[in-house]
Amino acid sequence: MHGRVKIKSTAQQEEEKRKEREKKLKIYIAARDACFSKRKEGICDDEALQLTQQLLSSNPDFATLWNYRREILMHLEAVKDKDEVQKIYEAELSFLESCLKVNPKSYGSWHHRGWVSARLPQPDWARELSLCDRCLSLDDRNFHCWDYRRMVVKMSGVPVDQELGFTDHLIGSNFSNYSSWHYRSTLLPLLHPESPEPLSPCRKTPQTSPPPSPQTHSHRVCEEQLLKEYELVQNAFFTDPNDQSAWFYYRWLLGRAEREEMISCVYVSRDEERVAVAFSRPVNAQSVGLLLVLDGQPQRVEWRSVHPRFKHSPVWICDLPPGTISDITNEHNLTVHWTEKHTHRDCALYTGRTESYCRDSATDQELFRSELSVEKTSVLQSELQSCNQLQELEPLNKWCLLTIILLMRALDPLGYEKETLAHFQTLKEVDSMRSAYYSDLCSKFMIENTILKMEYAEVRVFSISDKNLTTLCHLDQLLLVTHINLSSNQLQRLPPQFAMLQCLEVLEADNNNIENLEGLFCLSKLEEINLKNNNISTLADLQPLASCPKIKRLDLRGNPVTQMAKIEAELAELLPSVTDILL
Amino acid sequence: MAAEDLPSEFDVVILGTGLAESVVAAACSRVGQRVLHLDRNSYYAANWASFTFNGLLTWIQQHHEESQPEEVQDWSSLLEEGEELIYLSYSDSTSISNLQQTADSEGVEPTADLPRPSAIQGQSEASRKKISYAQLVKEGRQFNIDLVSKLMFSRGSLVDLLIKSNVSRYAEFKNVTRILTYRHGNVEQVPCSRADVFASRQLSVVEKRKLMRFLTSCLEETEEQQGEMNIVFSLFLCDQQLGDNLEHFLLHSIAMVTEDTPTEVGLASTRHFLRCLGRYGNTPFLFPVYGLGEIPQCFCRMSAVFGGVYCLRHSVRCLLVDKDNRCKAVIDSRGQRISCSHFVVDSSFSLMNFVSSCLPPQVSMVTVPPIAAGFPVVMMVELCSSTMTCLPGTYLVHLTCQSVGSAFDDLSPVVTKMFHTPETDDQETRPSVLWCLYFNMADGLDVEVEGHNLPSNVYLCSGPDGHLGHDHAIRQAQLIFQKILPEEDFCPPAPNPEDVLYDGESLLPTGGGGGDNSGWGEKGEETKENPQTEE
Repeated sequence: MHGRVKIKSTAQQEEEKRKEREKKLKIYIAARDACFSKRKEGICDDEALQLTQQLLSSNPDFATLWNYRREILMHLEAVKDKDEVQKIYEAELSFLESCLKVNPKSYGSWHHRGWVSARLPQPDWARELSLCDRCLSLDDRNFHCWDYRRMVVKMSGVPVDQELGFTDHLIGSNFSNYSSWHYRSTLLPLLHPESPEPLSPCRKTPQTSPPPSPQTHSHRVCEEQLLKEYELVQNAFFTDPNDQSAWFYYRWLLGRAEREEMISCVYVSRDEERVAVAFSRPVNAQSVGLLLVLDGQPQRVEWRSVHPRFKHSPVWICDLPPGTISDITNEHNLTVHWTEKHTHRDCALYTGRTESYCRDSATDQELFRSELSVEKTSVLQSELQSCNQLQELEPLNKWCLLTIILLMRALDPLGYEKETLAHFQTLKEVDSMRSAYYSDLCSKFMIENTILKMEYAEVRVFSISDKNLTTLCHLDQLLLVTHINLSSNQLQRLPPQFAMLQCLEVLEADNNNIENLEGLFCLSKLEEINLKNNNISTLADLQPLASCPKIKRLDLRGNPVTQMAKIEAELAELLPSVTDILL
Repeated sequence: MAAEDLPSEFDVVILGTGLAESVVAAACSRVGQRVLHLDRNSYYAANWASFTFNGLLTWIQQHHEESQPEEVQDWSSLLEEGEELIYLSYSDSTSISNLQQTADSEGVEPTADLPRPSAIQGQSEASRKKISYAQLVKEGRQFNIDLVSKLMFSRGSLVDLLIKSNVSRYAEFKNVTRILTYRHGNVEQVPCSRADVFASRQLSVVEKRKLMRFLTSCLEETEEQQGEMNIVFSLFLCDQQLGDNLEHFLLHSIAMVTEDTPTEVGLASTRHFLRCLGRYGNTPFLFPVYGLGEIPQCFCRMSAVFGGVYCLRHSVRCLLVDKDNRCKAVIDSRGQRISCSHFVVDSSFSLMNFVSSCLPPQVSMVTVPPIAAGFPVVMMVELCSSTMTCLPGTYLVHLTCQSVGSAFDDLSPVVTKMFHTPETDDQETRPSVLWCLYFNMADGLDVEVEGHNLPSNVYLCSGPDGHLGHDHAIRQAQLIFQKILPEEDFCPPAPNPEDVLYDGESLLPTGGGGGDNSGWGEKGEETKENPQTEE
């Protein structure tokens, strides 16, 4: 049409662009080859600096070139005087700024910037901090920049409250920001540390206890500040309950308690001349300086974990030298020292007793509650109230439901058991993608409750049938259990951890889906195994049982394996000790 | 440009440089139509214009003067066989009425020296300094005072068009930074975005949840809402059990409707507000730096780049219409006959009431519910100096409402309540008014652009409407364009300057992507210099 402005056709434009690209590529390759050959010859001159700059400004992710550049800079540092070095590095910083504009998430550029900043004779940290500000205001989730910011803050001693204010600002503009919340969680304990609490009197004599390591105190925040944080984070999850970052931060606020590291149980068996030790966390007993003292005499013993699979385990066992405690008329005093942690536990084996143990029970330690918090009950109670309020408005919000469950557990795990189960049911319905996770979590809580009930009753029988268990956990807490009933659940395996039940005599696990018995390993007291209606299909699945010397009775009715030809003969060969097999 | 220089043949002649006309001009030029774009004023954008302080004073003066009746000349010598003459008459003076400046505007009285604390919610008192009327006049070039106060919805049709057509490259924009409302005698921030709701101190957590839930539910049209369509929006809100706070925010500041608006309309405008949130920051609005008058000029510039010819202080006296009632040509103010296939004209014929008032002081949008029964809802836009519309240290405040009485009657009670004027008691905490102008403007929405028994290829553009956004004008421009060129794309993306081929035969300006033809140059002098160059 007349008068119409003529515009290059797309084909024309494409062609031009293609030529442009080819030209660029040629230049790029030539420069790259030149760089490589120079580096090979060990040349560190200005031209090399130029060449690498040219390449890196179009491709800042070329790690080898950054390395070469650092070699050149270090060389220049050695030959030039301080002012010149300062100038070179300042130029480097402004070059890096242009690289960051090309790719604000380039690993190479940020790493190099950190390197340069650290070597700069007179660093201008304020400038670096404002660079971080700018970068994070463009993309508040750029973790490279967060890392760099932490370095700048550390090097230049930016006041903690200023940094906290910065997170306030970022959270204010968009609270869906893990980085800011996380940064907050590292700053708060520094700015508002919890006032030191009196040491719990039950353990540790004051004379021997070491000064509190920064680790044990670094994660706590004073209560006044905590209340403010609760308010802030509530504003976030009431505004948008589907945003996870606020919930995660909330959970951090609630659950800062750490278990004290200690030996939680020592068990000694006279018949087997064996000692079993349980720790508060998985350890490698061979490397933590474990010392066994029997009647004042240090013993040379071999510690082994309950299952060859574990290098780290919360339960370790050792055999005492033959004859040391076998005489039932003798009394023995046993002490296990955990030298690394300056803690120990005594255990006395009295005359006439075949076994003995000494431990802190889960109820004494409030073991499972402390997983969430040691905060005052009143605070937790009011947090539970506001979560319940939110749940009324948003009955199907999974984060809210999950948090309510956690709060209920922190407050009164047994008292809230019914509500907890109901909430789990809702969770599985509203978030069916994660129903297996919720089932596992629910199993864990049910096991915790059962452990608590068992210990209140002061028995060594653990019974948790018909509770929809999908997984087993806290098995280290069951070291002393002699009789376990897991019938009518949905278990698929007895995991290697099951071998921690060192005192187990009777196992009832009828009506599950068990197909794997790996955990029935070297259970020296196990006599009776009930596995009716499970899913054991091959003889190999029963192989672990061969390591348990005392099995008398085995019920395998309703398992596929019973359909095998010559199964009786095979079993008799595999398990000669068994006198009573039900197929 | 001298009249003799004008070519005598164009495809489209457009009279008036208001927003709709300018968009039509850009759209037509862009697809290769030869466009002649005229404005009888010496400035661009007609009633959409932005003025420097001194420019505004001149404008006031013009409107106080009697408009002289134009002498009717005999153009019959220019008539061709079978043509008839239709004279165009202007009634611009009737689109603006009730012009009134406040008493202290003469500047000799000491009251004009009143200090002006910055924002409405009194910011630092220390920054107060005395600004006299004389200073306002002296620094007048730092002002860009819009005749109509509008904001751009960030997903409104204007923004979409600016992006689609690449016209956005000619302007800069600022976010409106907060939405406020006047309530119980206080100005409060309206929490509208997620971040606002999170940070709000005046809402309880439960209110926060209710608000967010309501807003989220508004984003989709649900059956539940359908069931409520037969009641008014304020009752609908009441039924949601949101509480007084939230109802106020939703009705006045988010939906921006009145008590008796139907639910359907209320929900639709809530939805529109929400969809605009977050595209460019925390509020749904943008404001063009240097004032709203920039926008029509940007489209004019695009038109000029694609060959549109521009003349200011140049008008059309009459249309030449053939027997089929089609406009064949126009006769311009210098007596030249210019033939055209289409004629678009600004509808300064009609006159209705619509009030706008200007008051010189962060960019805030404030909704003020009726202060008493019988009073209108007032929209207030407060512009800070970084929008390049006012002197540093001052704020420019626009108050707009659908008129009930005269602009002064409608708006001065609000002004008295919210600002420190000579009439109010010594309330130093409120911002002081330095200078103030009231006027009524005809509402473009009430102008009937169809059915004037016009020639079939003559199209009317109404002036600015009373709504906050620009949808009306853009829709109008699009309709006109579709009538002129039903087959063509409306404002397709403009190519990058380097992709445009200029050949010798082309009428186009050469080099730099255009904008330097004579018509454009004239404009450049007038507007591009006024910002901030003055000491």
